[in-house]
Amino acid sequence: MDIISNLLNGFSSIAGITPLLLIMVGVALGIMAGAMPGLSPSMGVALLVPFTYTMSPTYALILLVSIYIAANYGGSITAVTINAPGTPASVVTSFDGYPLTQQGKAGIGLGVSLVSSTIGGFIGTLMLIFFSASLAKIALNFHPAEYFALAIFGLTTVASLGGKNWVKAFIAAMFGLLLNMIGIDPISGVSRFTFGSPELYDGFALIPVLIGLFALSEIFFQLEKGDFKIKAASSIKSQWPSIRDYWKLRFTILRSSILGTIIGIFPGAGATIASFISYDVTKRISKHPETFGKGAPEGVSAAESANSSSVGGALVPLLTLGIPGSATTAVLIGALMIHDLVPGPRLFVNNPEIVYGLFASLLIANVVLLVFGLFGSKLWIKVTAIPKNILFPMIFAISVVGSFAVRYSFFDVISCFAFGVFGWILKRNNYPVAPIILGLVLGNIAETNFRRAVMMGGYDIFFTRPASLILLFIAAISFVIPFIRHKKTKINSSEKIS
Amino acid sequence: MKRYLYVFLFFMLLFFFSLEAQSSTKGKTDFPDKPIKIIVYTGPGGLIDVTSRKFAEVASRYTDATFVVENKPGAGGIVALKKVLKLPADGYTLYACTKSNISKFVETGGESYIDAMDWLALLMMDPECVITNKKNTIHTWDSILENAKKSQEKQIWLGPATGGLDHVTAMKIWDTYGIDEKWVPYSSGGKAVAALLGKQGVAYVGNPREILGNDDLMIAAVCSSERLPQFPNVPTFAELGGEGLETEVMWRGFAIKKGVPEEILAWYKDLFEKVTHDQSWRDIWEKGGVQVVYYGSDKFTQVVRNDERDFQYYLKKIDIVKSGESDFLTKLSSGTNLLILLCALAAMLIGLILLLIRLHKKEIVAQVIIIYFFLSLSILFYIISFSFPDVGEVGPSIVPRLWIFALIPLNIYLLIRTLRNKDHIEKQKGNVNQVLFFIAFLAVYLIAIIFLGYFISTFAFLFLGMYILGYKKIWKMLLISAIWIFISYLLFYRLLYVPLPAGQLIELIF
Repeated sequence: MDIISNLLNGFSSIAGITPLLLIMVGVALGIMAGAMPGLSPSMGVALLVPFTYTMSPTYALILLVSIYIAANYGGSITAVTINAPGTPASVVTSFDGYPLTQQGKAGIGLGVSLVSSTIGGFIGTLMLIFFSASLAKIALNFHPAEYFALAIFGLTTVASLGGKNWVKAFIAAMFGLLLNMIGIDPISGVSRFTFGSPELYDGFALIPVLIGLFALSEIFFQLEKGDFKIKAASSIKSQWPSIRDYWKLRFTILRSSILGTIIGIFPGAGATIASFISYDVTKRISKHPETFGKGAPEGVSAAESANSSSVGGALVPLLTLGIPGSATTAVLIGALMIHDLVPGPRLFVNNPEIVYGLFASLLIANVVLLVFGLFGSKLWIKVTAIPKNILFPMIFAISVVGSFAVRYSFFDVISCFAFGVFGWILKRNNYPVAPIILGLVLGNIAETNFRRAVMMGGYDIFFTRPASLILLFIAAISFVIPFIRHKKTKINSSEKIS
Repeated sequence: MKRYLYVFLFFMLLFFFSLEAQSSTKGKTDFPDKPIKIIVYTGPGGLIDVTSRKFAEVASRYTDATFVVENKPGAGGIVALKKVLKLPADGYTLYACTKSNISKFVETGGESYIDAMDWLALLMMDPECVITNKKNTIHTWDSILENAKKSQEKQIWLGPATGGLDHVTAMKIWDTYGIDEKWVPYSSGGKAVAALLGKQGVAYVGNPREILGNDDLMIAAVCSSERLPQFPNVPTFAELGGEGLETEVMWRGFAIKKGVPEEILAWYKDLFEKVTHDQSWRDIWEKGGVQVVYYGSDKFTQVVRNDERDFQYYLKKIDIVKSGESDFLTKLSSGTNLLILLCALAAMLIGLILLLIRLHKKEIVAQVIIIYFFLSLSILFYIISFSFPDVGEVGPSIVPRLWIFALIPLNIYLLIRTLRNKDHIEKQKGNVNQVLFFIAFLAVYLIAIIFLGYFISTFAFLFLGMYILGYKKIWKMLLISAIWIFISYLLFYRLLYVPLPAGQLIELIF
């Protein structure tokens, strides 16, 4: 019960007006950073790092992690309301969240995403507090071969995502993977497909591509339909989920949160894969898989609880090993270093008040997020009521800043717009665009770990290591099942006819 | 109402101009009369970022000048350096540099960058060391060496990027002891340390600071002429029979564009000396085994030149240049041939479209064009992949080809389905011309940003955009556009230091 007493000490160390105020400020700023396309959680945290110099280390961390978890949630607001995921992890949230908005049920989407997010964040933090040591062991024993297998498993979610359009979904995923090959090869340092242009040395930045493929292509799509003059006024009086609606989601949230935390611990994999996989799992288990992608609250819930709980997972390697599990935790390491703290197992011994203060503030921050979100949702649902002929030009203007701010490069702005046009063309021809993002996110993990694994043990290593073999086996099964099911329903229906 | 609005707009414009005028037209007074930018080539939180921010903090005790750290990550420092070189040599822009920059410059053939900079101050030297996992059976230097010489299999050494500083240090160590092992690179030092903790390799090459915080890690040997006071039990390579590795350090410092006036350089010299003698500055770094020094321009340039030579030698050594066989595909992947290929692909596309129209299959033209795009992209990338050098067992061309081999059959399958009219697409009733018009309008907007800057162009774009889409309340449109300009200026430009494009024409005028 050491943990409990330490945790109580942690709570007492952050009891007071200042820490609570910091959490509130952090949560508010985080929500804004997440909701602004182009400001990712890691940038939100990074922007605030300089302001934390003069604070005590505990206070600095409180502020930064509050921003971190709130930004992770904030990305879902724009995903639901205008189909512009603020973060790569909230791409999956838009699958069902945006259709809900289109049906005039934005309230359901926002409510479910908020509650799933905070409960997921809470569960992730609890797992971090109680199981960090054993989770760290899993992370350490994960060989490159297993990382590769995990990435392949993530890719197979495309099979069920695509549905009838599985060929096009896979083409999109492979295109994303190929796109990811552009830039300097992380293993050998050779520059690939850059055509001599230094802007391409680091490849395409994820955020501009994301904004282009989702937000901009959607605008073009609606411009074509020409219904932008109509005000979606009905959504102001949108219905909100009842307690009973939330209760129905309890297993989805619990399952996705556990999945999200576990996937979150693997450095590099993180929130995006977690949300894709848990969405996929939830869809497969569901009794109504056909409603997914058309506004199923379970879909929103699975995605959001997984990506929020992955925060807890990402902090495991940071605190126990001193290794960043995500881009944001990398920034947190820098913040710790500025305060002369070295993350790692010794931090638990030397500065337990900081570690447990951090745990306590994570728990409180999730509660504050819930409160802020409940009030805030009433406010940002109004976004859906802005006339589209005002909203669309605004989204373009914001996209310019958002894609520019990633690397301060105008090249990114142009590529954002190019991907917007490309995404519109693809959408008109029934290609899903989400697999491109999945490919871009997974490409690096899949490639580098594939090559590392082969360097360490040759090509047969994927089949001689049990964990990697099992993961690849699961991946193969999850790839094949949709096709078998599809065949079966075809046979069934033809039997009925005869 | 309208009148108030115009008054409001007028004052806002006045406000902008006064702000700008303040920062640009002040007469030449003492240096510095505006904030000094430190351009950092990593994202926030990286070690050089922390160094720069700490420097700014310590320096503020000795001068009234304000330092602003600006992160400009990309291409291992080249993006940041290009930015520095674009700005005038007025002393207001420092480039935070490390030894890794030099390896990047050499790797990408950018040696001219070294000449373009004045290597102003080397402020710290972080000795390189070999770090091992105590839980591995092989963890002392002697056991590593013994195992390396006896075992048939190559040892696995872990670290950051191939061809980077740590990799080159590893190669030097191997050369010194007459061994040759396998380097497995990770995307960051931290992830390589994780792999070491997971016993996936024998050794990790990095800096002493990296073992702090984890009791399982130890330093097997360090590149230093004497034992480090912070780690008295760690032997140096010299003690272990490895001469000539004393100078293997990771240095960090500042460079400035060449051509800065003498008196400004003297101002910096004074500041660097003061910061170097500051006790709190020394304390932070020395705790992690870093040597705090101050090398001025001459000595620093010497160091940079030496490193350049070293990197040139070792990078050539690992870059296994493609053997003499120049088959058809390799030839195709070079310069002009590629261009000819592109033209051929484009010509084929036009032919294809004409053929489809001829065959009265107009409705599938768009689908076929997309498939054709993916197919030609695959073919193009496949051909280019032959120009990559074969580095190591799994070279840079293997994985791209893997995706290409998946992409081609998928597209052919889809093509067959499409031609058989099995791929039905619901045609939505819509106005494509409206979209195309808007895309053209957006293109104009982007071009306008380049010349007129973000603020003016965006103001015009928002106003016209709303108008085109059918919103007709003029004063509301003006207000909305002005508010966004105001917010983006304050939030992004002033508070977050996002250097939104100011516009080439505007820059010419002011």
